[in-house]
Amino acid sequence: MAGSQNAEDNPVAINVIPMVDVIFCLCVFFMCSFKFKQVEGKFDSWLPKNKGSEGTPSGEPKEIRIAMFWDEAEKKVRRQFGMRFVENDAELEALMKGAYEDYVAKGSPEVPVIVDGDERIPWRDVLVVVNIAKGMKIDNIEFALGKKDA
Amino acid sequence: MSKHKKSQVEDPISPNLIPMIDIMFLLLLFFMLGADMAARETEDMELHEANKMVEIPKETDENNPETIVNIHHAVGGDGGCAVYDNKGICREKDHWKWSISRVSYDKEKLKERLQVLADLSLEDEVDKDAKKKLSKRKIMVRADKTAPYGDVQKVIEYCGMVGLYKISVIGAVPSVN
Repeated sequence: MAGSQNAEDNPVAINVIPMVDVIFCLCVFFMCSFKFKQVEGKFDSWLPKNKGSEGTPSGEPKEIRIAMFWDEAEKKVRRQFGMRFVENDAELEALMKGAYEDYVAKGSPEVPVIVDGDERIPWRDVLVVVNIAKGMKIDNIEFALGKKDA
Repeated sequence: MSKHKKSQVEDPISPNLIPMIDIMFLLLLFFMLGADMAARETEDMELHEANKMVEIPKETDENNPETIVNIHHAVGGDGGCAVYDNKGICREKDHWKWSISRVSYDKEKLKERLQVLADLSLEDEVDKDAKKKLSKRKIMVRADKTAPYGDVQKVIEYCGMVGLYKISVIGAVPSVN
């Protein structure tokens, strides 16, 4: 690495102290600016090409809809599946799984999971629902449209 | 006793600096190679972890360009927003910004920018369903985990309006441990 320690090999004495100082400074600089990068992932979600905001469908809708409301007083998200309020992720997953299996049994495996959320809810709560749907191998995930711009 | 004193004067202790320099060079090399000096397209933010996410490939396909739209809190971090700095959910509309390549956009400007990006990489043929040429550019929505869902909805809505239909949402892949 830095060479032999035999003085006869290199008779010219070099003052290494300034070099050590500079390397120390460089080390401190790079150590301070060092940051471990987080591994990022993605969920692909192609938008429909010919489908926009649609009205309420007539008849029994074929969908798994998760409604998400923002509770301003408690600063938390309330999730509703059908008429039932869901307390935790495991309960939501069980309900979604049951509904999806019903649709598969009826011959509709392409049933969409619709995330119908209040615009104030944190993005992480939407990702939790998407993650559960992806875990059940459901690729047809739709985001209900928010309020139109005035 | 006097003999011992004399030897101290004649042979001052000189530590061997070479191993230390070797180690410092190695450390320097490690930190230099690990430093991320590239021009960043992303903003600093806390992403939500989701274990079913597909890891983003490092190589980008020139035929399928990608653009990252960041939705981030622009006031927190330096004591500007106590709620966000204390890991709360900030709902001040002015505090959340949309940016592409570190340039912030408001609603109208973002729509214009997305239109420009869409037109830069149109597909070769007219789409039968949309009856127009759509863009082959992929938009990656990278939102802070506490960002308002309404902002993400708006970005996706604007993408649909300008013919960008390939959308991905970005999160963090949980570490193995």
